[in-house]
Amino acid sequence: MSRPPEAAPRRIAILGNPNAGKSTLFNALTGLRQKVANYPGVTVEKKTGSCDLPDGRRAEIIDLPGSYSLQPASPDEMVVRDVLLGLQVDTPPPDLIVFVVDATNLERHLYLALQVIELGRPIILTLNMMDAADAQGLRIDAAVLERQLGVPVIGISAVRGTGLDRLRDLMARDVEPSTRHFREWPSHLQRVIDRLEQRVPRLPSVPDRARRDVAVAMLLDQGEDDALAKHVSAEALADAHLLARRLDEFSPGWRSGDVAGRYEAITALVAEAVNAPAGDHKDARRAAIDRVLTHRIFGPVIFVVLMGAVFQSVFAWAQPLMDLIDWGMRAVGNGIGHAMPEGPLRSLVVDGIIAGVGTTLTFVPQIAILFLFLSVLEDSGYMARAAFIMDRVMSRVGLSGRSFIPLLSSFACAIPGIMATRSIDSRRDRFTTIMIAPFMSCSARLPVYALLIGAFVPNRWVGFVTLPGITLFAMYFLGILAAVVVAWALKRTVLAGGLPLYVMELPPYRMPAWRSVFITVRERSLLFTRNAGTVILAITVVLWFLASYPKGGEAVRALEAERTQVAAAGDTTRLRALDNQIASAALAHSFAGRTGRLIEPAIEPLGFDWRIGIGLITSLAAREVMVSTMATVFNLGSGESDVQPLRKILREAVDTRTGKLAYTPLTGISLMVFYVLACQCMSTLAVVRRETNSWRWPIAMLVMMNAMAWLASFTVYQGGRLLGYGA
Amino acid sequence: MKTRARGHHTARTLDQLAAGERAVIASVDCPPAIARRLMELGLLPGTEVQVIRRAPLGDPLEIALRGVHLSLRTSEARHIDVTPA
Repeated sequence: MSRPPEAAPRRIAILGNPNAGKSTLFNALTGLRQKVANYPGVTVEKKTGSCDLPDGRRAEIIDLPGSYSLQPASPDEMVVRDVLLGLQVDTPPPDLIVFVVDATNLERHLYLALQVIELGRPIILTLNMMDAADAQGLRIDAAVLERQLGVPVIGISAVRGTGLDRLRDLMARDVEPSTRHFREWPSHLQRVIDRLEQRVPRLPSVPDRARRDVAVAMLLDQGEDDALAKHVSAEALADAHLLARRLDEFSPGWRSGDVAGRYEAITALVAEAVNAPAGDHKDARRAAIDRVLTHRIFGPVIFVVLMGAVFQSVFAWAQPLMDLIDWGMRAVGNGIGHAMPEGPLRSLVVDGIIAGVGTTLTFVPQIAILFLFLSVLEDSGYMARAAFIMDRVMSRVGLSGRSFIPLLSSFACAIPGIMATRSIDSRRDRFTTIMIAPFMSCSARLPVYALLIGAFVPNRWVGFVTLPGITLFAMYFLGILAAVVVAWALKRTVLAGGLPLYVMELPPYRMPAWRSVFITVRERSLLFTRNAGTVILAITVVLWFLASYPKGGEAVRALEAERTQVAAAGDTTRLRALDNQIASAALAHSFAGRTGRLIEPAIEPLGFDWRIGIGLITSLAAREVMVSTMATVFNLGSGESDVQPLRKILREAVDTRTGKLAYTPLTGISLMVFYVLACQCMSTLAVVRRETNSWRWPIAMLVMMNAMAWLASFTVYQGGRLLGYGA
Repeated sequence: MKTRARGHHTARTLDQLAAGERAVIASVDCPPAIARRLMELGLLPGTEVQVIRRAPLGDPLEIALRGVHLSLRTSEARHIDVTPA
């Protein structure tokens, strides 16, 4: 099966500024033939896809993260630079670069283009959004750009799909690298760079012309450049740092010495190649929309209404789909249950595996719907305005406006919320947001709050509100408060530092490309199912095992003997009650039940007994499972849909050792506080692991949140008892 | 430390401009890495800049330069000296 060497796929990278329409082009070229992974060791996503070229060859397309400069200011930009310079170990430099620029905004987008052209790699300059440029009356002379830049230039519209055939033709051809230079360093600096260039090791992946860029990177490095540390000798780097410090003394401002020169070249180039109509046509539409959307009063109002609508839709549209998946999985479970003989294997398949798959799938509607909205908001340009409006609020805890929507989404479910943090540019802000997202009270906590409030909080009016209402509000508020405290602490300790720069582009408003939106929604849903799904499935099976084994036990055997007699007598009411008792006794005898007793000493100071302990353990699958577990523990049978009897039972439950009431209202409050703060959802941890590309963060989250939950519940319960509320 | 008065004009900083006001960037006085990034985004000395508006809560600012609109916090804009256009 050896293929001739010329049939090897061409490796083509798509590159450009954020908002250049890179991803839309990537989606248009590759369609559904995409793969998403991570670059090793970092949280930057590596998107690749394949595309057929007109000559019959296949091209492997890599969608590099949007960047502003080859002088990296974020992990994303670092990866781009490393790939282009040939320093990225797992990703060899591309055979060809398709550089995408926004044709309506050449001046800005050409900056990075010039830097990349100077590297001396084959490159096609792709003027995207030519339709918008035409509509604005911009006339761009591609021949002038080709001549001045020394690279092929082509106009396309990725959204409309125009010019893509010509682009594919070009992608199949061999493109000569440009020989142009646009940078001017002052002569003393040039000498320093020349000298450093000698110390850059000769690597086959680094072309001769790019060696100078490696030298510049060495000079500008502030000790955080991993790729340089790997490829360049420590002495050479130390010398470079020394030189940089000397330059800081003698010629301050040298670090941006090449920027102005490049912009001068761009200004001259644009003046020659672009013919713009007089007046500010371009900004008229944008200004009109912005006057409303970022208006002092209407802006926030529209934002709140829009977010409310998104939030409501995630809840309302996802629920029927989730019910349908739930119903479908139960039907599958029943079908398989009937087809298989009763026994441990059937139990494993039905209650372990199918239940686990079901748990994973029920998250998908929420993820899909949220990402549908998010990608429309992002692609239309509204997301940047939302961040603009909310920035002030979020800056109070050291974050930026970009963190707001992921956190808001986390009130529905932390999983899509954490996945939505991808739009936060700063790594430190993104990790902080991920770490505080699970404090937002998600929809799975609501059944637990409802059960406990119904059981322990009297339905009394206090002024304009009811006591249950106040309690529920307090729980949501407590979660937000914890998030603020943790964000504040993280940004001052482990996640401190980084470039404290919050400048953000406010792109023009655009119609989203629906195909691209659809591809994003599909990709996010699949990624979750594939990556987090396997972990969730494994956890469900483990929890199933803990709740089902070991079988038997004295109590169960005695009840089963009684059941045989009752069944013979045909007393169905008694039979139901016995079945529930058997389930309860079996659970108490299982590993989960034993663990409940085992952890009792640890949770007793919080006011919880071993029965609640079992609920805490089964909550690891999903928090709302606590409700059905408590129903089983108290002989109600888990099929009971009405929580009324369970509330009554919890209120009246007796501690068998003391003969007193087992749970007081204080227990209820303490337990709710625990549910607000504790990290119980293993699915969330699976997603944190995938999004941070390490086990360190999910483990830190687990330890931190549960320690906080324990301390807070301890304070509530013991403090309450001291104040005399324990009875 | 930055010098407040430059030449004949009383130097102002970008955050002091009113919405709609235009000015020319005189200098960017930030730590080197930040200054470089701001310049790469087009905030070069000599560039004309217009403050479009402030966010509803008063911060950040929306500015326009070289045909691009950027959101810039007051704390960042404070380090950018401007002279009248």
